[in-house]
Amino acid sequence: MSESLPEDLKRQALARAGQAPAEDGALSTLRRDSLAALQSADFPGRKSERWKYTSLHPLSDGHLQHAAQGAAPARLPVLSDYRIVMVNGHLDESQTRLPEGVSLRREAERLDGLSNPFALLNGAALNDAISLEVAPNTEVAEPLHVLMFAASDTPAHCHTRLEVLVNRGSRLTLIEHYEGHGAALTNAVTAIETRDNAQLTHYRLQSEAADSLHIGTLLFQQTGVSRIDSYQLMAGNRLRRNEVIALLDKSGAELAMNGIFVARGRTHVDNQLCVEHRVPDCTSNQIYRGLAGEKGKATLNGRIHIHRGASGTLAELSNKNLLLNPGAEINTKPELEIYNDDVKCAHGATVGQLDAAQQFYLRSRGIPAADAKRMLGLGFINELVMALPDENVAEWVRPWLAAELGQRPEAGEEAA
Amino acid sequence: MLEIRDLHAAVGGKAILKGLNLTVKPGEVHAIMGPNGSGKSTLANVLAGRDNYEITGGEALFEGKSLADLEPEERAQLGLFLAFQYPVEIPGVSNMEFLKAALEATRKAQGKEEWDSVTLLRKAREACKQVNLDAQFLKRGVNEGFSGGEKKRNEIMQMLLMEPKLALLDETDSGLDIDALQTVARGVNSLRGPERGIVLVTHYQRLLDYIVPDHVHVLSNGRIIKSGGKELALELEDKGYGWLTGEEGESA
Repeated sequence: MSESLPEDLKRQALARAGQAPAEDGALSTLRRDSLAALQSADFPGRKSERWKYTSLHPLSDGHLQHAAQGAAPARLPVLSDYRIVMVNGHLDESQTRLPEGVSLRREAERLDGLSNPFALLNGAALNDAISLEVAPNTEVAEPLHVLMFAASDTPAHCHTRLEVLVNRGSRLTLIEHYEGHGAALTNAVTAIETRDNAQLTHYRLQSEAADSLHIGTLLFQQTGVSRIDSYQLMAGNRLRRNEVIALLDKSGAELAMNGIFVARGRTHVDNQLCVEHRVPDCTSNQIYRGLAGEKGKATLNGRIHIHRGASGTLAELSNKNLLLNPGAEINTKPELEIYNDDVKCAHGATVGQLDAAQQFYLRSRGIPAADAKRMLGLGFINELVMALPDENVAEWVRPWLAAELGQRPEAGEEAA
Repeated sequence: MLEIRDLHAAVGGKAILKGLNLTVKPGEVHAIMGPNGSGKSTLANVLAGRDNYEITGGEALFEGKSLADLEPEERAQLGLFLAFQYPVEIPGVSNMEFLKAALEATRKAQGKEEWDSVTLLRKAREACKQVNLDAQFLKRGVNEGFSGGEKKRNEIMQMLLMEPKLALLDETDSGLDIDALQTVARGVNSLRGPERGIVLVTHYQRLLDYIVPDHVHVLSNGRIIKSGGKELALELEDKGYGWLTGEEGESA
């Protein structure tokens, strides 16, 4: 046991990658290159600035050593007629229903921009992948619901891989949705590229049960003058870490990211956002709202990097947070790196508590204290929920978030 | 229905009520008047159960139960209603959603029939109309961006829907123009009935032109120093509070 946890995890990761089948035309190149990069990468310890608020200790139970094999329930949420289902990282072909103009290949190739060790492990150990392409000048009217399910009774993991290309002149609504329970770690990588005149509405719903784990890397690359509206909604769980990287690579590209994160009980959420303005005249607008209750812990680090040549950049980041009680914790930090004078960049981050006068007002009308808290919590994020453009999604989201906000601490937690 | 005996109360540790006695029977309308700082609003807030308003002596019984033992929501569920002097704004929680939660909780506790959403909406629209509040206000955040007068009318609208046994109105007349005052008064008068008690806390007599009380009490320095009929209010209007509080000042 002289090995440190980061070293131990790296050893497990390399061992896991070594078990991936050697011959698989569609994935072998990515596996080989990812493995090479993984070999020279380090898993983070507590001293790593980017992992200051997330301990990998929950992974010390051997999650990386075993593949998740839990069964998916007969009924999974359905948010659209068009869907793709992955169970423990494997495509369930029988459930695939693609809208016209969208093609699917079981391939993956993206390495550029995905440099964190978990993303590299995903690439190195992958044994299935989804690569979607929207044909040029195609307006996909109905949302495409990609559901990733993971479950395991004992510590285990799965890798999910979703690569999407929205071609020039096309429109897509993509619902990226994670469900699951038990001691399963989902190590997810999603990489999305948008070309000229493409429009993407993207949802990332992370509604796995509180006992599950998720480490996700989401990459947007706008190689064309395009618009992305991304809505990232997440409930805390045993370990939730989301790295979001946005590369604005074509002048005129617009990115809007909205997020809601809720950490109740003893759950954890860590968002690491990085928006890279690499060319002139792009716009990014980020609005995130976070809530933590009981002993929940949430983190948001919002980096905006405006490169030397990126004049005319408009970049905004707002993160408001609400602590439901004194034991909860929220860490928020905007991080601006600006190497250009000709930019407009605004940021704001706040952490507040439930307003006593508002609570009293609701209670004075007969509403029980716990319900009053739930209503005020929902009120706090309601502005973003009301902005969800697809009613099907909003209808699913409302009761989910209400339940997240209504939950009571499990027995024994109060005493702890 | 309300029985207050030798009530002492402190706000943030400071003694405000110092031995207050008041009995309200069903069907009665009481007005509690007094100069600023006499403890009128404290009384209303203590009865409703606001944090930091602490009963330090004596007792306040509502329907035979000691209010000190009840959470604010339990008081409301028993039929106590406070119309706030300064209703708080709650962005993100719609007025309708709020009314639904409030009425579900109180009607259930009172063994009244539950209203389905169609009934609730109809009743809420009627109540809005009664206080001259556009039904659009039901969709907005609770009191969010409402003018002072709209907030007060929103309070009365809620009161009409909740049909409390005892209504406490804390300076509901403050900040209202004469039209709004009459509207609010009509709303309150419509609730007058043999089963219901109403306590009006007010600084000025003018509200009492429209809601005629059965009893008028003058509160000063945490105690009721004079009680009488509706004519007492007129006397106060005429003479001010000085002739009463002056006595109090000398004896204290």
